[in-house]
Amino acid sequence: MALLTLKDATIKFGGLTAVNKVSFDIEKGDLFGLIGPNGAGKTTCFNLITGVYEPTSGDIDFLGTRICGMAPNKIAEIGICRTFQNIRLFGTLSALENVMVGAYLRHKTSLLGGFMLTPAVIKETAELRKKAMELLSVVNLTDIAHSRACDLSYGKQRRLEIARAMATDPKLILLDEPAAGMNPQEKDELRDVVFKIRDDYEKTVLLIEHDMKFVMGLCEKIVVLDHGEEIAYGDPSEIRNNPKVIEAYLGEPV
Amino acid sequence: MSLSKILGTRVLSVVLAIAFCFGLDAFVTGQLNEYVVRLVMLAGLYVTLSVSLNLINGITGQFSIGHAAFYMVGAYSAGIVSNAIYKTQPLAAPAYMIISMLIGAVFAAIAGLIVGMPSLRLKGDYLAIVTLGFGEIIRIIVLNQNQWGGSYGYAIAPKYQAGWLIWLLAIICIATCRNLLKSAHGLAFLAVREDEIAAQAMGVNVTKTKVVAFIVGAAFAGAAGALFGHMESFINPDLFKMEVSFLVLTMVVLGGSGSITGSVLAGATLFILPELPRIVSFKMSLGLLLSVLVGIGVLVWMNRKFMEKYHEPDKLKRTLVVAGANIGLAVLAVVVGKLLNNIPQFGTTTYDANKIRYMILAVVLLVIMLLKPTGLLGHHEFSWDWVKRVLNRNKAGEASA
Repeated sequence: MALLTLKDATIKFGGLTAVNKVSFDIEKGDLFGLIGPNGAGKTTCFNLITGVYEPTSGDIDFLGTRICGMAPNKIAEIGICRTFQNIRLFGTLSALENVMVGAYLRHKTSLLGGFMLTPAVIKETAELRKKAMELLSVVNLTDIAHSRACDLSYGKQRRLEIARAMATDPKLILLDEPAAGMNPQEKDELRDVVFKIRDDYEKTVLLIEHDMKFVMGLCEKIVVLDHGEEIAYGDPSEIRNNPKVIEAYLGEPV
Repeated sequence: MSLSKILGTRVLSVVLAIAFCFGLDAFVTGQLNEYVVRLVMLAGLYVTLSVSLNLINGITGQFSIGHAAFYMVGAYSAGIVSNAIYKTQPLAAPAYMIISMLIGAVFAAIAGLIVGMPSLRLKGDYLAIVTLGFGEIIRIIVLNQNQWGGSYGYAIAPKYQAGWLIWLLAIICIATCRNLLKSAHGLAFLAVREDEIAAQAMGVNVTKTKVVAFIVGAAFAGAAGALFGHMESFINPDLFKMEVSFLVLTMVVLGGSGSITGSVLAGATLFILPELPRIVSFKMSLGLLLSVLVGIGVLVWMNRKFMEKYHEPDKLKRTLVVAGANIGLAVLAVVVGKLLNNIPQFGTTTYDANKIRYMILAVVLLVIMLLKPTGLLGHHEFSWDWVKRVLNRNKAGEASA
């Protein structure tokens, strides 16, 4: 059974159809790419999967459960977490605390205990802190753990977002343009991080990216959107040679 | 930290807190006059109010300006229940206090739940308007209830001035908020303040977090209201006007939104500030007043335009220079004021400090907000670690020198 299934997912904002009958399956362990020109509906697709929007029609199933209309925090709980295209970190919190917010999803103590700071809560907080530190080391940010998130450089903020999403223990992680604004060296580091997430942590990854070299070198399956419609699906070599994709997006063969 | 150590610290802090409260009561009520005793009790109430509003405004980021309403709900509901018991079965006075506090907290929490609901859909200015409206609605409803005395006021039995209980409540309120921030649960509240969408995407139950913040904040304000009702023994809706909400809001913002320490400091001092000229009464000549006002203007200008650009790596030297410049300016302002007094009209026209005390308060607030826009403490908290760091830094400085 596929991990995530989109079946004719459609959303309309008034007269505008932002995503029109998009269908694809993501299997466990995939490195799945979602590409397309600006305004093609990629981020809207992410918003549909993570519950920010409810599809007008169509189905989205995760592990066999229909997740349309579920609250975003419920969807995070069942195992889908994301990063944001326009970075959304908790600015005045430290990098470590940002990751701890993600890890907090799997807390077991009650909020009442939090107000009383029971020994169980102290213990759990220490555990979450330890887990967050580990994740910071995965994205090579241990040295800035106590800096405020808003003071970090762009590339570090992007990696911090990935660590925060990883902290929620997702089965599927959605990365919205993770390489945007990064220099070539940072992109290489990011590629290693994404492979590590998939291979060492056994997560499934769905990512939106504009940098074709990055996507082609990373993803095993790719879906191409244009004007909200799915125009192609396949592995990188198929996408590279698909005339529709070249016309809509690539411009010339890469 | 081991379990026994945690428990040890806990027991110690509880004992210390109770000792402090009784010590304060014995000292204050025994030694000082009634007016000062009242100020000390009010300070305790305002600390509770500002710290509880800080939980809603500063920590969870829900801009609420109707805190006086929760205070009022607490005072009236506790008073009504207490009166009913007093008629049928008189109890010992402290028993009333405990019952009243609980009743006040429960009813205010219900009110908090009702106000918390719109906060799920509203943000920023819009939420502020709703909470402001709620505060006024509650006050006007009570104003029109003849069985509760309407605008004449409502007598609450018994009268009991429980300074120790007021401060104990303040300490419990501070401890609750501090505990929350020390635990991972507090991060959920901070995350909601920072970015709701991201918080929800990370699995934080934003709805629950906001409503809990409102309920807990309101409950503490309600408990404070209950104690206030018994302290005054006669309350009327005018005591819970918008000004109270704004005063408490000012305390939160002035202390540094989100900082518990800031709320405590501002809560304990801000309302005493306009009372100070009553205690230490002094007169100011027109010359001195003008000179001081101009001096303050120059001080703000100097600190903002000049001192911020003054970069000195040695922190001690920098602090000394800045402090020196400010003190020098203050002395200069007084000297100029004395000189101005030689002009006939300027010297003979005098103002009683007591009469212009709200002007003084306004100027102080303006200066603080101009110089420290994030409040006195910003997001910082007082902690023993911080004290240790500062001490160590000085030691390290001495060693290197």
